[in-house]
Amino acid sequence: MAQAYFPVGPGLGMEENFLSLDDILMSQEKLPGRAESALPRLAVMLGQGAGSAESVPEGSKLEIPLWLAKGLHDSKRRIISVELPKIYKEAWRTVFSADANVVDLHKMGPYYYGFGSQLLNFENPENPEIAQSGSVLPVSDSVCLLQTFIARFRRIMDSSQNAYNEDTSALVARLDELERALFQVGQKGLNDFQCWEKGQASQITASSLVQNYGKRKLTEVDG
Amino acid sequence: MEPAEVEFLAEKELVTIVPNFSLDRIHLIGGDLGPFNPGLPVEVPVWLAINLKQRQKCRLIPPEWMDVGKLEEIRDQERKEDTFTPMPSPYYMELTKLLLNYASDNIPRADEIRTLVKDTWDTRMAKLRLSADSFVRQQESHAKLDNLTLMEINTTGTFLTQALDHMYKLRTNLQPGESSHSQDF
Repeated sequence: MAQAYFPVGPGLGMEENFLSLDDILMSQEKLPGRAESALPRLAVMLGQGAGSAESVPEGSKLEIPLWLAKGLHDSKRRIISVELPKIYKEAWRTVFSADANVVDLHKMGPYYYGFGSQLLNFENPENPEIAQSGSVLPVSDSVCLLQTFIARFRRIMDSSQNAYNEDTSALVARLDELERALFQVGQKGLNDFQCWEKGQASQITASSLVQNYGKRKLTEVDG
Repeated sequence: MEPAEVEFLAEKELVTIVPNFSLDRIHLIGGDLGPFNPGLPVEVPVWLAINLKQRQKCRLIPPEWMDVGKLEEIRDQERKEDTFTPMPSPYYMELTKLLLNYASDNIPRADEIRTLVKDTWDTRMAKLRLSADSFVRQQESHAKLDNLTLMEINTTGTFLTQALDHMYKLRTNLQPGESSHSQDF
């Protein structure tokens, strides 16, 4: 079944993939922001008042999902201003540069890389440091998405290609969604090879779908 | 690609058999084979050799490199060098598995050969992981892997290309012209 299903993967760039479920979930994450102008009749939506006619006053603090922030953000018309979430700020970047492997990226936001890439849309002065493209500014001591990924790559590769027939839940618990997908790919490569070596690849087995189909029919009869 | 598909390609390699039947030259779509005469060695693809072996119609002659002394040399060479050394066959892993599974009675010291090939494989895979890591750390964009075999590439290939794909996207995030704003009204 998995071979015949082609889900749209996450975009992981400045632009997300429109149909990617992962990207849709990612863009729901909240961003801290501030209203730069009064927003009439929106107080109910943003949880800052009871009446439907109340407006959000200028300068009030907001927690807005990324998709809304992207829509309202404009370099010319100041509707809202967006702040960096804590984990992309200087203090955390220093932690990452010390040792990226100790950080639990799944707790930090399951879409650490994707969300961080999207933040570059908001033209923060700290952008080059977040992305660490190296071409814009000299590399500062802060860590960015790329350096984090590079630092964690070795561990993902080793654990995914060596842990055969082990319980990998502890390994995977601290990875973000992108790293998890990568881990699964590594595991599949190893498992396929091991199965081939043991001669299980040449055996034809019934698809799990067929086995489940029989079971489901029985339960329907019972129900 | 799955290991079974790599094995499928490996079965096109030629091996020498000694048949115990006689048959005229057969014209197959990928080339002619034969003629087969009892006791006379003849070259056939691995898939046919294994089929004939299972039907007890031939004796298999192991390839030249499938020899304990030679494999020990290859293993030691592999441990000495930093880069990948050339392998005796582009499908050494698959051929070892196939021939030892179906014709181990025709191959002298089969279990030692199995161990040696497995050791060589493990050495090479560890080397591959090491070089992949330094490749990623130095943020390279291309590498030359001349002597890797298809099975080795295929085992880590998908993982590596996906990781490098993510890295490329993260690296080009900030470069201008990358994001095309097609929705400027």
